[in-house]
Amino acid sequence: MSGFIRLSNFPTVFTYWKLFQQGIIVTILLSLFTVMIGFVLALVLALMRMSDFRPLRALGLDKNGHMKEEGFAAFISRFNPLAFLATAYVEILRSTPVIVQVFIIYYGVFGLIKLPSFTVLGFIKFDRFFPGVIALGMNSGAYLCEIIRSGIQSVDGGQTEAARSLGMSAGQNFRYIVLPQAVKNILPAIANEFVVIIKESAITYTIGVQDIMSAVNAVKGATFIITEPLLVATAIYFCLCFPTSKLIAYFERRMSRGDKR
Amino acid sequence: METNDDVLIRVKDLKKHYKKGQIKALDGISTDIRKGDVIAVIGPSGSGKSTFLRSLNLLEEPTGGEIIFDGVDITKKRVRTPDGRMVRMNIDLHRQKMGMVFQHFNLFPHKTILENMTIAPIRVKHIPKQEAERNALALLDRVGLADRADAYPFQLSGGQKQRVAIVRALAMQPEVMLFDEPTSALDPEMVGEVLDVMKELAGEGMTMVCVTHEMGFAREVGNRVLFLADGKLMEEGTPAEIFDTPKSDRLRDFLSKVL
Repeated sequence: MSGFIRLSNFPTVFTYWKLFQQGIIVTILLSLFTVMIGFVLALVLALMRMSDFRPLRALGLDKNGHMKEEGFAAFISRFNPLAFLATAYVEILRSTPVIVQVFIIYYGVFGLIKLPSFTVLGFIKFDRFFPGVIALGMNSGAYLCEIIRSGIQSVDGGQTEAARSLGMSAGQNFRYIVLPQAVKNILPAIANEFVVIIKESAITYTIGVQDIMSAVNAVKGATFIITEPLLVATAIYFCLCFPTSKLIAYFERRMSRGDKR
Repeated sequence: METNDDVLIRVKDLKKHYKKGQIKALDGISTDIRKGDVIAVIGPSGSGKSTFLRSLNLLEEPTGGEIIFDGVDITKKRVRTPDGRMVRMNIDLHRQKMGMVFQHFNLFPHKTILENMTIAPIRVKHIPKQEAERNALALLDRVGLADRADAYPFQLSGGQKQRVAIVRALAMQPEVMLFDEPTSALDPEMVGEVLDVMKELAGEGMTMVCVTHEMGFAREVGNRVLFLADGKLMEEGTPAEIFDTPKSDRLRDFLSKVL
């Protein structure tokens, strides 16, 4: 194995093209499911963080029914357990490495819960794929939560004031006024997150998900060629990510065109 | 002498304090707003006039005092119903009866002018869509904008936006209209068209509370002027009393700067 790259090695690598093909399908499916799980989780987390759920609120009222301004009672009356839990989740997931999270989910959680071992499409091992999706989805949910939250909070506060002053409830304001405007801000960021996940999903080969990276590993094991399959993987990842991000940028430009206020 | 029944909103010792009372945005304001009143609220910037107006429909939550609207103290979290039960105060019900117009219009940019005007009547008052649209078009016609019903807010000039904002609030058939510096964000040549709509509204007997820098409007249209400074109601009276015979130095000083 002397020399950095040998062109003569590529034909050998391409005899394993079938593995790469399957890897591409696995990577794309993994990313799609991850984004879907991540988005639903993120929406729930974002709503929890922005909620006005204060079960101890009554403790902070003075005898005239006004909110107290200071002191321990005022502090605990503002305590929102939903927001606290969501914030804790987001901060923990964002402050620890993905690979640790993937291992904890695979060896820890799904070491206890036995998944049925069957394959989908003949090459997707469910008991590897499913924990991978869950782990990546939980991780991306934490990041998407912040995207969704900032998208919602970027809607001008005057919009909420106008809606509430017309007698709309907080829920009506969110559904009819804030959310439609926020979605426009959020969609490009979610598409970008999809590109990030395509790249990040490579980590799941460590728990035996047969994605593009695992095809590289298989070729390496069978032929002792390393650099050339890695270059093939590089080319595949690039071909997946680059056009996708360009496409997103195009739609982003088109959407902002009608955005004059 | 007017009776109590004429009082639409009774404000008693209204306070809004921040930071343990170090900052007093509102420091004990009391006044009565009667049916048909056109009240101009004037004062230097930072005097609390916007806070006062926004407290009236609880966009700002006061830290003390009472606002009695339709016989209910809306600053309370819980209120007693006529049959004596304590229930959670539902501010949405009261806000329906108080129209509000903002300095920056706050039209909904993703909705057409007609949708802007019908969403609250349809969703909040459950008025059938056709009826709501008919009412909205009639209101738009009154302010000369019926032909812009299908336009989006970004296609309108500032003056047109503010006229739409006024009729959007009117579409809920409020008992009182609150104006928060409605002409401050407008180009000078558009101020007149908005003030004209407000004058017309006042002429029809609508109860109005206007925070304004337009002293001409305050004098001509208002029947009462409130002068606020440092969160306090310094002087209150007819336009003639306030503008011609100011009593306090603060008001004289303020008028010398703005007139």
